[in-house]
Parts: sequence; structure tokens; C-alpha cells
Amino acid sequence: MIALAPQAVLTAGTLGALSLGLMRRPSALGLRVLAVSSIVAAMLSVATGSVHELSSVIVMNDPKSLGWHYVICLGALPLAFFLDGSDDVMTALFLGATLGMSLLCVAANLPMLFISLEFMSLPAYLLVARSRPGSRSLEAAIKYFFAGGVAGALFMLGLALYYADTRSLAFSGSLSALGQGGAALMAAAALFKLGAFPLHWWLPDVYEAAAPEVSGFLSTAMKSAAVLFLMRLCEMAPTASVADFLPGVGALTAVVGSVMALRQERLQRLLAYSSIAHAGFLLLGVGAWARAGRSGEGASALLFYLGVYALMSNGTFGFIKHAGAQTRAQLKGLGVSMPAAAAALTALLVSLAGIPPTGGFFAKLLIFWRAVDAGLLGPAALAATAALISMGYYLGMIKDMWFEEPSGPAPVASEGLGVVIACAAAAVLLGAAPWLLAQAMEVGIK
Amino acid sequence: MTAAAMLGLLCNVLVVLGITGFFVNAGKLFGPHPRHQGDGDLPYETGVRPIAPAFERMTASYWRYAVLFVVFDVDLAFLLPWALARPVLDLHTMLAITAFVALVLFMLAYFWRKGVLECR
Repeated sequence: MIALAPQAVLTAGTLGALSLGLMRRPSALGLRVLAVSSIVAAMLSVATGSVHELSSVIVMNDPKSLGWHYVICLGALPLAFFLDGSDDVMTALFLGATLGMSLLCVAANLPMLFISLEFMSLPAYLLVARSRPGSRSLEAAIKYFFAGGVAGALFMLGLALYYADTRSLAFSGSLSALGQGGAALMAAAALFKLGAFPLHWWLPDVYEAAAPEVSGFLSTAMKSAAVLFLMRLCEMAPTASVADFLPGVGALTAVVGSVMALRQERLQRLLAYSSIAHAGFLLLGVGAWARAGRSGEGASALLFYLGVYALMSNGTFGFIKHAGAQTRAQLKGLGVSMPAAAAALTALLVSLAGIPPTGGFFAKLLIFWRAVDAGLLGPAALAATAALISMGYYLGMIKDMWFEEPSGPAPVASEGLGVVIACAAAAVLLGAAPWLLAQAMEVGIK
Repeated sequence: MTAAAMLGLLCNVLVVLGITGFFVNAGKLFGPHPRHQGDGDLPYETGVRPIAPAFERMTASYWRYAVLFVVFDVDLAFLLPWALARPVLDLHTMLAITAFVALVLFMLAYFWRKGVLECR
């Protein structure tokens, strides 16, 4: 029972948020404290669950479930700080989505994987719809819902084929052609959630229309869960040909995301394409991990990347929330009008571009190292080209901030500077001392 | 999965594609071919010219109760397999199912308090 402590904490948090909402005058401070403390408590309670303590037909704990739980909570934490407590439903939806992700971490068979996938997706659609007033976020939420519905349908169809082949709902070994087809369909569902190249069309619209802090949550915690989802599918069918396609799809995704981001003027759309590019690097990492016999090193490279990306992406989206800048043109001259925030964003962008000495550099280095080690020279070279292309807009934004004259009225800053600076500092710190993330997690994973 | 079974699956896919393709395109094939001219494409509103586009949002106030019904229906349908799979009633199973029903009741109280059940 204690092994499911993180899930229990998040369930209690979700119900607590709804209960607070039942009061005549919901306390905003209470909801804010509840959101942050639930996520922090879930992070700390990973410490009580040790590997292999829990194993049943539907739930299990392995090193990956604990590590991913940690990274997912890290990606969710900034949104917990940004929620202003005026809306109990937002807090409940946020904690509910995180609960779904943490259930995905411990899912031990395919129906449980599907339930946790829907459990994390349904609140996410509503988070997008509620995050901003007006019809644009509603339209984006409906688009997101249909994309998610297609992914769910693909998964169920794949599950049916898989079951027809193996007569089992657990993660198991050898598959015939029918099961391979099923595994491919289920992997397509994961690629949908991750926003990989041919299935990425919904992502920029959603990330642009949602409130920036919600986009930050989706691009980090949700993507971490999608990566684990894909890895579980690769484990399920170790001989599947699905894994052979992942590096190529990943490299293409990185190139498409980087090239599309070059031409974007609106910041949230630019970051959405940038997150597609990062999903490409992650896919390359998953492909390398699957090819190298699903080694621990491959998984920890992915975990490090996700941990650093949780800081970088949340920090950058948090900056948009804090500075109120909508377009790249509004970045001009911010180095003078908001020096602290601009310095933090500069550090985050340097890290996103993968320039040493930042966490983003080591994250990319580890992924490329694993890819080359696994003999994936072509995809690695293509993804490296994408990383070079991406410098065009990351460094361009830095130039806008520090070396350009402001072209219009300066945007008005709001709250959230602390979160942006904390994310930037942590991303730089992980570059100076990359072992810190591993140590921080080892506190949790005994 | 034998080769014969695969062939059967393939035939099934072909038949499904053929039938749906036929019905989707049957109108184009056999139906009248309208001439797109004059007022011919306007929606018919008893001889009056349309005053507003036909595609607009309409309220569906009943959907809320329909969704609530489905939620509680599915939740309580879960009690049946539980009762069949747990013939021995000890304290642990009783506590577990009580927690489940309490959760459903909490949801009902939440909707009630938030005014979802009010007839509008």
C-alpha cells in the first residue's frame, strides 16, 4: 500500500481541491498551498517506494517508474506555483492530470496503461479550455480532444490486435505479424501524444492558445509521460520492428520542429515548434535505448534530458507569463526594461540551444552519445543538424533582447519572476554539476 | 495466425473498404446532378430568403444530465463485477468498496452544491 504513496497523495490533493471548492468562499491561499504541497509531497513520497516492492497484475514499481515519477513532478511543480487559487476546478484538474501521469508510471499491463493515458489526457483538455477566457482556447481544447481521441482509438485497435495474437494483456515477449501491427498502432498513439513529426499538427495550435504556464506543463510533464508510455511499448515487444523506426522519426521530427520554429513570430507558437524539435531528440534517445538492449544508461540519458527540459521549457513559458510578451518583436529592448527576467531567459535559451556550460548541453550530449553508441550515425547526424538550425531562433531571441531597440511600448510584467529565475538557475547548475540531478533522484530511489 | 486467417482478414478489410466507399460515393454516382446556379444552392426556408447562416451554435441543455447519468451509471455498474469477484466479505473488501461508494457520493454532493443538478 505504501508503495502507491505518490498516487495516494495526489488523489487526496485532487479531492481536497474539490472539497475546498465546495466552501462558500474558497480560500485562494489554501488552494495554492494545496497544489504546491501535493506535488512536493508526491515527489518526496517516491522515497518510500523502493524498486520491486510493488508488483501485481496491474501495478508495478521498477527503476523507471520511480525516476519518471520524479521528473513528471518536476515538470508539474512550476504550474503549481503559477495557479493563482481563484479557480478550484483548475487546481483539481491540474492535480488530476498529474495523478494520471503518476498512474502511468506504475501501470503494469495494457488496459491500465490505457486508463492512465486517458486519466492524464482528459483533465489536460479541460486545463487548456479553462486556462484562458475566450473561444480560442476552447477551439484549441476541442482540437486537442479530437487528436487525443484519435490516439486513444489507435491504441484500442492496437490493443485488440495484440490481444488477438498473444491472448494476454500483460507486457510480454514474442509477437507474430498481427501483434507487431498492434504494437505499431499503439506506438502511433504514443507518437500522437508526444507530437512526433507526421502526427504533430495539433500541437502548435494547442500550445499557442493555452495559457503559457499550462503549455509549459503540457510540454514537460505530459511529454515525460508520453516518453515512458513509448518505452513501455518497446519493452512489451522487444523484437518489434516499431523501435527501428523511432530514430529516423525522431531525427525528422527534430528537423521539422527546428525549421518551422525559425519562421514563427508569436513566442508561444515558436516554443511549441521548439518542443516538437525536443520531442525529436527524445525519440532518438528512445530509439537508441531500444536498440542497445534497453540499457540502464539509455534510460538515464532520457531521464536527464527530461529533467533538464522540465526546467528549461517551464522556465521559458513562465517567462512569457511573467513578462507578458506575446511576439518576438516585444522581446526587443527587454534587456534594459526587465534585466533580471531577460538574464534568466538568456540562460534558459542558451540551455535550450544546447550550448555549454548548461544542462541542455549535457542532455543533448548524452542522447547523441547513446545514439552513436547504438550505431545510429545517420539519425544522430540529422538531429545534430536540427540542433544547429535551432540556434538560429534561440540566439536570435537573445539578440532581440539585448542588442535591439524597443519597437513599441514595453510589456507589463506580472508575477512569476521567482519561478523563471529558479528554473534558469537550476538549468545552469545542472550544466555545471550534471550529477546533481542523479543525486537528487537517488535520495528518492534507494 | 495462419496464412488463411490473414487472407480472411485481408478480404474483410477489402469488403469493408468497398462497402463504405460505395455508400459514401453512391449519391454522386446515381443521384441527380444539381446545376449550381441562381438561388439553387440557398437553403429552403418556405420561400423566404435566409436571413442568417444555418451553421450556428445551438444550446443543448440536456447534455449535462446525460453526461452525469453516464458517469454514475458506469461507476455503479462497477459494483456488479466486484460483487461477483469478491464472494468473501471481510473487513478489507468492505472498506475498499465503501471508499469507492463514498467517492461516488462525494461527486454527487459536489455537483449538487455547484448547481449542476438545477434545471435550467
